[in-house]
Amino acid sequence: MTSHLLLSDVSKQFSHDQAPALDAVTLDVAAGSCTAILGPSGSGKSTILRVMAGLDPVSSGQVFVDGVDVGGLAPERRGMGMVFQRPLLFPHLSVLDNVAFADRVAGTGRAAGRRNAERYLEMVQLGGYGRRSVRELSGGQEQRVAIARALAARPRVLLLDEPFSALDPELRADMHRLIDEIRAAISPTIVLVTHDRDEASAVADHIAVLHEGELLQHDTVDAIYNRPRSLRVSRLMGGLNEVPGEVIGGAHVSAMGAVPLDDARRTPDGRATLVVRQEALAVRATDDVHPALPGVTEFAGVVAGIRHLGPRRLLTIALAGGAVELSAELPPGQAVGVGSPVGVTLPRAVVSTVPD
Amino acid sequence: MSLAPLPTRAPVSGRRGIIGAMLVLPAVSLALVVLVGGIGAAVLQSLGLMPLVGPVRLSFDAYSAQSSSLPESIAVSLGIATASTGIAAVVGLAAALVIVSGRWGGRIVAAIGAATVTVPHLVGAAAIGLLLADSGLLPRLLGIEPGGWPRLVGGPWWVAVIAEYSWKESAFVALVVAGTLATRVARYDETAALLGAGRLGRLRFVMIPLCLPALVVSSTIVFVYTLGSYEVAWLLGRTYPEPLPVMALRLFDSITLTARPEAAAVAVVTTAISLAAVGLAFLALRRTAMWR
Repeated sequence: MTSHLLLSDVSKQFSHDQAPALDAVTLDVAAGSCTAILGPSGSGKSTILRVMAGLDPVSSGQVFVDGVDVGGLAPERRGMGMVFQRPLLFPHLSVLDNVAFADRVAGTGRAAGRRNAERYLEMVQLGGYGRRSVRELSGGQEQRVAIARALAARPRVLLLDEPFSALDPELRADMHRLIDEIRAAISPTIVLVTHDRDEASAVADHIAVLHEGELLQHDTVDAIYNRPRSLRVSRLMGGLNEVPGEVIGGAHVSAMGAVPLDDARRTPDGRATLVVRQEALAVRATDDVHPALPGVTEFAGVVAGIRHLGPRRLLTIALAGGAVELSAELPPGQAVGVGSPVGVTLPRAVVSTVPD
Repeated sequence: MSLAPLPTRAPVSGRRGIIGAMLVLPAVSLALVVLVGGIGAAVLQSLGLMPLVGPVRLSFDAYSAQSSSLPESIAVSLGIATASTGIAAVVGLAAALVIVSGRWGGRIVAAIGAATVTVPHLVGAAAIGLLLADSGLLPRLLGIEPGGWPRLVGGPWWVAVIAEYSWKESAFVALVVAGTLATRVARYDETAALLGAGRLGRLRFVMIPLCLPALVVSSTIVFVYTLGSYEVAWLLGRTYPEPLPVMALRLFDSITLTARPEAAAVAVVTTAISLAAVGLAFLALRRTAMWR
């Protein structure tokens, strides 16, 4: 159930007069890892999963599982399990027989298949539900059975195509915990497609950002958020702060001033845009800004706007007389209003630059 | 937050059920009036309780008048209906699976099926007659002399009659089953494939079970229709033994008005067989996993 998956230069074009749904995508998914493919609608997320599963043939490129090219294999022979947005439980089968389906078509006896299915139902916390009709299940339960059914087929790679997008937030959080438990129990290789950044970071250890069929970046969750390779990745990951300027001798220089950069996070000297997450900025209400401390840079600014995000607030802060605007999330408790003077701290560890 | 199993869906409320029943009430009322009125009149007439002439008298004479030929007629009618339904179900199911496959061939089969159901049975019967008769198009195309051609029209095995019903009704079955499957079959097919099911496995464990209710219902309609319609058997069949509807029509058209109760008796027997077939079909339907 733990296999290495590699897409090598995979392209997919549905018709000659349209842009490719996938454009020379190379994606390496380590055995036992969980990679979330993240992108807006129409970015090719579902297509990449269908290509992996063999449901759609590639236009060019290769799909390897454990080093073997599976391009010529039909879906039933690839060993990929897939869970769709809709659970698609077979309505003519009980819950138990749905989970035992893979064993049944593989020729395993009915009793042995059902015994095995019970184990997977237990794994998704639905032990004892086997005799029920699938019509008696709630949406969350249906999706759990769909996951159990896919796992019972002992797939080499488990593909999840936005399986939780139709569930309410509480159920979705439950399902995220379930995936964590499954990963801890059997370490399957998982590729999850989602358009939800929070879901991607909650479930996966790696994120691949896809945009208009192009793989923009595949990295750890932390790197994708804090070290985006391009402004498009930063924006797709919800980053709001972009400060144009220039990298000169280990610092980013802009109208705001000089921001020292970590060696690992900076681009070569030249034009570059500084990016920093709005959640990473520290803001304090003060008109007395500290001089620069080692590893920390604080700038004086004025609150230009406030937007509420649940219990937190998103501040728009004007710096350098309004030449630069930064967004920063402020936790509850601090009394600031529009026009308040504030100090904005940019910790060196979370600041990075992307070339223009 | 807990991972404990969640409560199951609430059943449909009684109010919604009542609204649903009210919505179908006009159609059901009309159907009941026609059904009860028609069958009631036939039963009364067959029992002598609604005579065209003479006194009202309860009698089973109309049933016993055709007792010598009725068993053979029932056997012939059941044979034609069973054979036609069986062939139509198999061919229709195969055609439905081709239609929902999404390939270009499916569109052609769907177009042929849609065109076929619009052809009236009488026209279809005439066409089959012109095709399969010993002096028809097919033996001529094949260069077979009339003497060497089997008696498909008017012969002992009712081949032309069964062929006409099977051809027309397989198109009907195909469209009904394909219509039921069209919206969901592709995703279930993909799901089954990803669980390791090959083509035969998907057909056996997914497609056929999903088709079964629509197949049973459409086949029952075909059986009842072929049992009760007269024109194809009348045009392409033998003169003896007569299928039940042909016998009923002959008696009904008889110049002897006293034959009318006998026609009604044959119609009542045909209806009773049809109702029994429908009852058996519903029992079978209730046993399918999809219906449960």
